[in-house]
Amino acid sequence: MVRTTLAWALFAGGATLASPAHAYLDPGTGSIILQGLIAVIAGAAVAGKLYWSRLVAFFRGEASPDVAKDEAPGNVPPAEQDPER
Amino acid sequence: MFRTIMPGARADFEFVESSGLLPPLVRAGTVIDSQRVPNSVLDDAAPGATIVIEHPRLPFVSYPYEWPFAALKAAALLHLDVHLEALANDVSLSDASAYNVQFQGSAPVFIDRLSFKRYREGEIWIGHRQFCEQFLNPLLLTSLLGIPYHDWYRGRVEGIPTEHLNNALPLRRKLSWRVFTHVTLHAKLTRGAATAKHESVPKVRPMSKPVLCQMLSGMRRWIEKLQPAHRGRTEWSDYAENTSYGASWEDRKRAFVAEFARAVRPAVLWDIGCNTGEYTQVALESGAIHAIGFDGDTGALQRAFERASRERLDFLPLYLDAANPAPSQGFAERERGGLMARGPADALLALALVHHLAIGRNVPLERLVDWLVQLAPRGVVEFVPKSDPMVQTLLRLREDVFDDYSEATFAAALERRSAIVRQETVSASGRRLYWYDVGHGQQ
Repeated sequence: MVRTTLAWALFAGGATLASPAHAYLDPGTGSIILQGLIAVIAGAAVAGKLYWSRLVAFFRGEASPDVAKDEAPGNVPPAEQDPER
Repeated sequence: MFRTIMPGARADFEFVESSGLLPPLVRAGTVIDSQRVPNSVLDDAAPGATIVIEHPRLPFVSYPYEWPFAALKAAALLHLDVHLEALANDVSLSDASAYNVQFQGSAPVFIDRLSFKRYREGEIWIGHRQFCEQFLNPLLLTSLLGIPYHDWYRGRVEGIPTEHLNNALPLRRKLSWRVFTHVTLHAKLTRGAATAKHESVPKVRPMSKPVLCQMLSGMRRWIEKLQPAHRGRTEWSDYAENTSYGASWEDRKRAFVAEFARAVRPAVLWDIGCNTGEYTQVALESGAIHAIGFDGDTGALQRAFERASRERLDFLPLYLDAANPAPSQGFAERERGGLMARGPADALLALALVHHLAIGRNVPLERLVDWLVQLAPRGVVEFVPKSDPMVQTLLRLREDVFDDYSEATFAAALERRSAIVRQETVSASGRRLYWYDVGHGQQ
């Protein structure tokens, strides 16, 4: 799970997965960079939440929580999609 | 209204068709209906089209720079809702032009069927820049700075540049993280084509669908809360309450307008100087089908729009400076039609208007009548005499150079171009309604 998240973040950091060339509209350089920042921050927030949940669980002596159970759908930065599933 | 789908766009078109996204949206009136028609319908007009679709025509086309604040806001929210609904069906929008929204009465409708494309995994919000320029920034201009966006927006048809809005905002406004992100940071990160070197083309990082949805719904929550700054009274917002024709005079005026609407039953009525839409409503309740209102006072327009929504009237109030209507503009001065280009209407109301143009804006009476009659072949125009308190107010600080401003001149000008069907005095000061009709015995 951790490895998957890290791999996804690294992959996202380097790759141009979805070229905007599918659209006729110029997205604008500012918007592209801005959304890149948003995506990275959102990814970090998710990873942060994951580690926090694990940390809390550790101190409570519980098993590692499943990320999906913790997130209320739509209200908080949701879990990254796990490409392995 | 026909649109063609060229071979390159076919795959996306078919995908969206099969997604099941559109039928519920069309039923709800959120997206305009479209029907496939045989290609032979267009034949020579569109060689190479693989698919042809037909949309119903709208009675009037309006532009974002004419919409009152509440309408632009409603259009922005509609756009975001449509985009979010689309994403739930694996469909995305390829742009975010405000011109992809039109109004039916006070209800916005999304009209660009071809904006819908298959969602591609990792795709960023491609329309974000355009959304900011055409929806968000104008709303912020009014909400944060109290500046009505209409004049600026009409001049720069593709919207308010983020960089310029950022320049206009004081520092304390940039402390909001939303403003900081979508205006300030957005502006600072923009590199122009001239300054960017070839290697510095920014990498497009993939954005997961949940994060994209978060961005859209966050934007929606922000816009939902936006209101014009300095709300409250504008010069003409309380006019209907403050000006007193007197109850029985008002009844006469209403009855006159109602009789006109009942007799003419115009499909499209233009009410120039509609204020809060009181008489527009009378006309709609008496037989007018679609009404477009025009006024230059944003406070009055806000109340007119509220009236239209509340009473579910087929009434769209729009911003207009009657002495300076938006011209035909865009490429070759034809993309966005001016007022005259979108007319004539079936009928016109010009109540409590003429003196503001003739006296207030120095428009010669003869030319004014000319203009009105070109807007619609029949209508009700109110003449306000010089003795009226309102005209006296307009003249109070000025020399009276309006020697030919008189009812006689007005009536003569109107009679030269049309037949006067009826006239009636509707105030103690001598305001008079004239029902003119170009068609009566003048064909």
